[in-house]
Amino acid sequence: MTDAEADPLLAALEGWLGKPLGAPGLAPDEVNRSMIQHWVDALDDRNPVYLDEEFAATSRFGGIVAPPAMLQTWTMPRPRIEGIAERGGAPGEIGADNPISVLSNAGYTGTLATNSELEFERYLRPGDRLRSATQLESISNRKQTARGLGYFVTWLTTYTDGEGEVVGRQRFRILKFQPAPAGAEA
Amino acid sequence: MSGEAARTERPSKIAVGDELPPLELPLTSTVIVAGAIASRDFMPAHHDRDFAQAQGAPDIFMNILTTNGYVSRFVTDWAGSGAMLRNISIRLGAPAVPGQILRFTGQVTDSRREGDEQIVEVAIRAANDFGDHATGTVVVCLPRDGATA
Repeated sequence: MTDAEADPLLAALEGWLGKPLGAPGLAPDEVNRSMIQHWVDALDDRNPVYLDEEFAATSRFGGIVAPPAMLQTWTMPRPRIEGIAERGGAPGEIGADNPISVLSNAGYTGTLATNSELEFERYLRPGDRLRSATQLESISNRKQTARGLGYFVTWLTTYTDGEGEVVGRQRFRILKFQPAPAGAEA
Repeated sequence: MSGEAARTERPSKIAVGDELPPLELPLTSTVIVAGAIASRDFMPAHHDRDFAQAQGAPDIFMNILTTNGYVSRFVTDWAGSGAMLRNISIRLGAPAVPGQILRFTGQVTDSRREGDEQIVEVAIRAANDFGDHATGTVVVCLPRDGATA
């Protein structure tokens, strides 16, 4: 018997493998110096290639570039602040037709981020306008974990520039789990 | 305003086993909120203590984009402005919360030539009083010159 036969929920979730998760995103703004400066100040990251035009011109990049870890920042949707706590932090309304919601509705309501992997093909320059597309990459068999019974769900977001060239990727894994009953030790 | 001079030089010689200068980050709510908003992450768990505690967290906690940002800063503070990161791969653990020091340590685990570049792998760890907040690997490329081992 295959895993999918033994676990109808897993079989249903596997239908999403390789398919887009949500609509592709278009960055609200081009990569720009103001947002880079905001990040540089918030993280006190003084690498001169991010803001010092003169220095950056002499660097391998030939001009200022965005801190690489900002990759996901550029395509973050503009948030609707009102009601954001009630939506669990979602910037806008989210549909129920996705594997995460299916797992939540099946009782696997807990969410724990476990892994992040960022790959950079090139650093971004002011003027780049990114698109992102996310697909479900893998779902584990149901596992007993320290948090409870659950599934590891991995998705891959690919970021492209205005010419459609891939500039970076992010692989992200979460555990969706059944929280232990109230009062029980985790 | 930071008084530190930006590091533009890279280490004169890099060898497997080298340790990076540790980065000790005293976390405050301000540090965590500043990172969350600069990365455009408005999840309430990263700025609203009541919300975070209602979710079972001890306090607001650092968002993953900010963790990746500090990992990047930690490595390029050492590697210098000629460095280009290729990959940041982390496993997430304990939450990074205000009132604790988040301490970044790292060690070179591989260094190999690839054309005109030296590809260096660094094992990194960010830990606080709870244990490991993030552990993983950063791959960074540096231009080769006579000083590169």
